[in-house]
Amino acid sequence: MAKARPITGLDVHAPTGRIARIIAGIRLDELYYWSRYTDDSYHVLELHNLRIAAKRLRYTLEIFAGVLPGACLSIVKELEMIQEELGALHDRDVMIALLRLCLDSRGSDIVSNHALPDKSEQIVLPLELVADVVNPAVAPVAAERYGLEQLLLRYQRDREEQYNTFQQHWHRLQARDFRQEILDILDAR
Amino acid sequence: MQEQSPPVLAAIDIGSNTIHIVVAHCRPDTLDIIEDQVELVRIGESVTATGAISTEKRDAALAVLRQYRTLAEQHSARKIFTVATEAIRKASNSHEFLEDIKRETGLEVRLISGNAEATLTFYGATYEESKQAGTPARVAVMDLGGGSTELVTARNMHITWRTSLPIGSGWLHDRYLLENPPTPDDLAVAHTFLRTYLQGIRIKPQPPMLIVTGGSANSLLLLARQAFRLDPSSKHLTYDDLMRCEGLMSALPAEEISQRYQQPIGRARILPAGALIIREVMSRLNLDEISVSPHGIREGVLLAYARYGESWLERVNEEASTSIFPPGANYEKATMLDGGEAFVQAGQRMLRERVEKLLDWRDEVLRNEDIEAIHRMRVATRRLRATLDAFESCCDPGQFKRVYRRIKKMADLLGSARDIDVMVQGLRAQIEQIPDAEIAGLRWLIQRLDTYRQQRQQALADFFSRLDERDLKKQVESCIREGD
Repeated sequence: MAKARPITGLDVHAPTGRIARIIAGIRLDELYYWSRYTDDSYHVLELHNLRIAAKRLRYTLEIFAGVLPGACLSIVKELEMIQEELGALHDRDVMIALLRLCLDSRGSDIVSNHALPDKSEQIVLPLELVADVVNPAVAPVAAERYGLEQLLLRYQRDREEQYNTFQQHWHRLQARDFRQEILDILDAR
Repeated sequence: MQEQSPPVLAAIDIGSNTIHIVVAHCRPDTLDIIEDQVELVRIGESVTATGAISTEKRDAALAVLRQYRTLAEQHSARKIFTVATEAIRKASNSHEFLEDIKRETGLEVRLISGNAEATLTFYGATYEESKQAGTPARVAVMDLGGGSTELVTARNMHITWRTSLPIGSGWLHDRYLLENPPTPDDLAVAHTFLRTYLQGIRIKPQPPMLIVTGGSANSLLLLARQAFRLDPSSKHLTYDDLMRCEGLMSALPAEEISQRYQQPIGRARILPAGALIIREVMSRLNLDEISVSPHGIREGVLLAYARYGESWLERVNEEASTSIFPPGANYEKATMLDGGEAFVQAGQRMLRERVEKLLDWRDEVLRNEDIEAIHRMRVATRRLRATLDAFESCCDPGQFKRVYRRIKKMADLLGSARDIDVMVQGLRAQIEQIPDAEIAGLRWLIQRLDTYRQQRQQALADFFSRLDERDLKKQVESCIREGD
């Protein structure tokens, strides 16, 4: 996860409203930095960073709600939606990575024959969980493996749909110049 | 032998919106009110615009005060107390204004502090309730004004905590609800703002009873009584009553509300904002009902005199500054929301609020009865980190890093449990929808995740049972250096 860009050199004795606008502007830049990856569905980490950047901008607007224009709340709603869409995508990526791990370690054909491009190595699963699911003592029997394989195929299809939903939403926002919209609201007094 | 009649006294309160008089027979614990009048002068309007009390406002105030003096004398009031609050304190020409009043009306005005104001309002708003059977030991009093809201909590009628919120019905109206009647969109935005803002106010322990005073609260009670035929003797308003008031006021313009329910037009315009603020504070305190008090600072002055005699104000100040608001105790001053608060001060306040909000969830996470507690605590860690990010430039770099690492560790731990909860919820939801042949695989995976989740719960319990809350608070609060 990308760290928030440190913001230094601020006049800490200036009114909060003025500084809040500067911070929100920087968080907006971070969001747009990661947005360059929105057209590749398998930039898993970059899309995750985009989600975190959306979350940071949203929290900034919420934290400073009292000193920013009321119209920022409509931006917060859009950011929540982006966050939810990308969150659902990330959750699917984690589940796909976990299922591949469960099946890969038992030599499933599904993983090698039907899987989508493998970007799952970008997902870091918790070590103890990995150790548990690959433990031969609890290995799934044939019927269980079949269920896991079908689940993996279904999740891969769902992921494509989830990505399309997000991408269409993002394109709609760009068509109305979302970035400028936010800047205009922040500039309003 | 016939009981001697208690003395008649008068108290006048010069506030930012109104000048108000109460004349009453006074005993230390009760008042028999003979006169209760109010005039809308809006001295605060000129103070907000120019920083000073205008000649026009001065003349209007003098005319009202002359009239009140005559009224008090007609009732043979033994004493007339006159106090002035926030708007007069802030005015650049307050000294000249008070001199004019003394010269023109003979009234000597006492300019009182915010703490004394809170104490006197508390006396006034609670004296009736305190005598009622069943009044809980812990109560809160909310004085909803035009530009600010005072919130006080008390135990056994002794104030334990106070905050001053820079949000009043006039302020919220001017900022969010200018349409007449207010539109659903504007109400939704104002509601979201209030909810977000009030989430940051820590009130612990939460009182089971809230007494609300101030012009808007009393006008809403009158409106609800008339519009919904509530019991005319009841002083209570429920959350639903307020929702119905809001529904009515968003359907009818202020002029019609004013005409139908005998409300001054200026009051009718700001009532939707008042209703929304009260309702949001109720939500924040998890209360379904409030008690509305028509009394406030004036009645508090009369009770204080009846209790303490000539040294009433010194006693009130002493009480406010020592036993009630000891140095460093729970007095919180929320500051200006209009951008006037310096960034560094906002940082000190917000970091303190955020860490307290975070720690509020600790016990629930340890109880492990509701998986949502982990989610909420995790969100609280994210908000605290976002606040730290925002105020990094005010922080000591070393201290910032140490705190950030500590909060991140907590967030990671909560996240590792929460992520599994989400996965398991998603898988369980699918069991009903998939072919039977696939269910065995799903159940296998849920079992593996449950096993891992139990380990995570143990790790959470170990971490949070060892967590030193005071140390964490101290560490977060010391991020921004004193004197910055």
